[in-house]
Amino acid sequence: MTGSAVLPETVLAIVLGVLFSLGTFLVLRRDVVRVVWGVAILSQSANVYLVTMGHIGGSVPVLSHHGGGGHGAVTDPLVQALVLTAIVIGFGTTAFALVLTYRVYEEHGTIDTAEIREVR
Amino acid sequence: MPVNHLVAVPMLIAISTAIVTLLTKGAPRVQRGLSFLGVLGYAASVAVLVTAVVPGNVLTYQLGAWPAPFGITLVADSLSVFMLAISATVAVPALVFSVRFVDEFGQRLSYHPLFHFMLVGVTGSFLTGDIFNLFVWFEVMLMSTYVLVVFYGGAEHTRAALNYVVLNLVGSAVMLLAIGGLYATTGTLNMADIATRLADPAAYGVDVAPVLGLSALLFVVFALKAGIVPFQFWVPAAYKAAPAPVTAMLAGVVKKVGVYAIIRLYFGVFAAATVPVSLPGISGDSVLAFYGPVMFVLATVSVVFGGVAAIGRDDLDGLLAYSSIGQIGFIILPLAIAATIPDLRGIAIVAALVYTLNHALAKALLFLVAGTVEEVAGTTDFHAVSGLSRVAPVVTGSFLVGGLALVGIPPLTGFFGKLFVFQTAVDAGSTGGLIVALFGAILTIMYISRAWNRGFWGEPTTATESIDPDPTEVAMLVVLALAIVLLGVGFDPVYRFADAASQAALDQQAYVDAVQLQVLSGGEHA
Repeated sequence: MTGSAVLPETVLAIVLGVLFSLGTFLVLRRDVVRVVWGVAILSQSANVYLVTMGHIGGSVPVLSHHGGGGHGAVTDPLVQALVLTAIVIGFGTTAFALVLTYRVYEEHGTIDTAEIREVR
Repeated sequence: MPVNHLVAVPMLIAISTAIVTLLTKGAPRVQRGLSFLGVLGYAASVAVLVTAVVPGNVLTYQLGAWPAPFGITLVADSLSVFMLAISATVAVPALVFSVRFVDEFGQRLSYHPLFHFMLVGVTGSFLTGDIFNLFVWFEVMLMSTYVLVVFYGGAEHTRAALNYVVLNLVGSAVMLLAIGGLYATTGTLNMADIATRLADPAAYGVDVAPVLGLSALLFVVFALKAGIVPFQFWVPAAYKAAPAPVTAMLAGVVKKVGVYAIIRLYFGVFAAATVPVSLPGISGDSVLAFYGPVMFVLATVSVVFGGVAAIGRDDLDGLLAYSSIGQIGFIILPLAIAATIPDLRGIAIVAALVYTLNHALAKALLFLVAGTVEEVAGTTDFHAVSGLSRVAPVVTGSFLVGGLALVGIPPLTGFFGKLFVFQTAVDAGSTGGLIVALFGAILTIMYISRAWNRGFWGEPTTATESIDPDPTEVAMLVVLALAIVLLGVGFDPVYRFADAASQAALDQQAYVDAVQLQVLSGGEHA
């Protein structure tokens, strides 16, 4: 099992690195929509990270644990509950951030953060 | 009803009020009445909880009767109820103030539900015994404050809200990372369980070294919520944009959630862990030893930056917002000493808590004063506002009480806050701490007297010569001013309460015992 468990973890580590760099890159843009995208990607990468923390090596669903399968073959169900909660919160905040972006566009006539700063 | 059920009552009241005010949108008078009753009920339930918890009890409520650490635990100890008492004391006058202050349309639309959801988030953060739920309650609180900051929807408000939202969303992602890491390292999310495992890492197979890094990541998030330099840059714009009673809540209560989380997690949970730290200037083998110098630097920079920036401001709003950054330094300063010197933790946390109480009351009062002035004069700019003492004596008197409380004049609560901060620095023999506190105190005197001279003294201007503040709003100013005076004059019970809270923060064993962890053995229920 170790062979199959190492591979996804390596892949996930690389994916996480790419996602976090992409998110950070976008958050630092001047375009507000890209900033919102960046924040969304950052929060989703945090979710992927959470899943990774739950010992991805498990291959058995929780319910089949009774009666068979050694301890450790089970994927931690708790992280999945945590990720679901975090995803829901992420959707809510992303939606709000997008609406706010639209509002910023209405108020300032631009979504360039540098130009927004000049308006007072 | 078993006494433990009391723990959930403040939250239930706040949630129910938020929902019924949402449902009664069509009947504004009913909505306002329910909102008012709700906040009174909230305060009453907090008062009942306080009497049940102090002195020395710890009440826990296991949601759905799932035993800890499998279920979600709510814990009310003296520290939690101390913070709850602060939030209730600020929330009642702030809500009554906003009934008159916020325009009719805004109130009918969403103000009341948002206000109560903010209270729900704050209450949940203070009561939760579970680190992931801390994240969830933070989000509940933040989501309501996002909307409240952008409430007026003008160009300046959307700009402030954009900064505030993006920063906090990044903060949330970081918090989630830290929590995920802590779960992977310690194998649990329950704070009492984390403390137990960190105290005896070998028995649970916990590697303590990553906890230091993860706790540092988490510290960044709490510092962001508390508005400590260098995470302060959202504070002035957001405070200026939000309606005055919301700013009073943001500065008085929401900011204090970060302070509470630092005290609870670092002194109550992570303090149990020992990591050999060998960095220059850091001694000791506790995780906390690392935070001593870090907090000291942050506190120093906050005090200096906030104070100097406040002096440079030409409007009351902005001055108060920057002052908020400086004052948070006074709360972190004794915590820095507490982290370095274990013997002084008791007195240092008392100092931080008393200062927290003082800042919550005084700053809430001052922001409400600024709101009243802005409403009647149209601005809080010192160029336009002057001579308020002639035309609005009660408002001026309230400002004086709040300002003197910030400065620390006896017998107001601020005097005791400052006294304990200085006491901690003296006991620690920390010359640096004394210099910072003294310098901060001088800066406070400077900006308060500057606001006084320019805004309240002198001849009334065209903007202020014929103003007529709303009597209900003024009454709320008087209520808060009286609270500052009364709690200062009758300081003894406040001291005993703060002392009990400080002991509760440091007594890990009592906290762990109260949560009644079910022990895991071999992956099965014991």
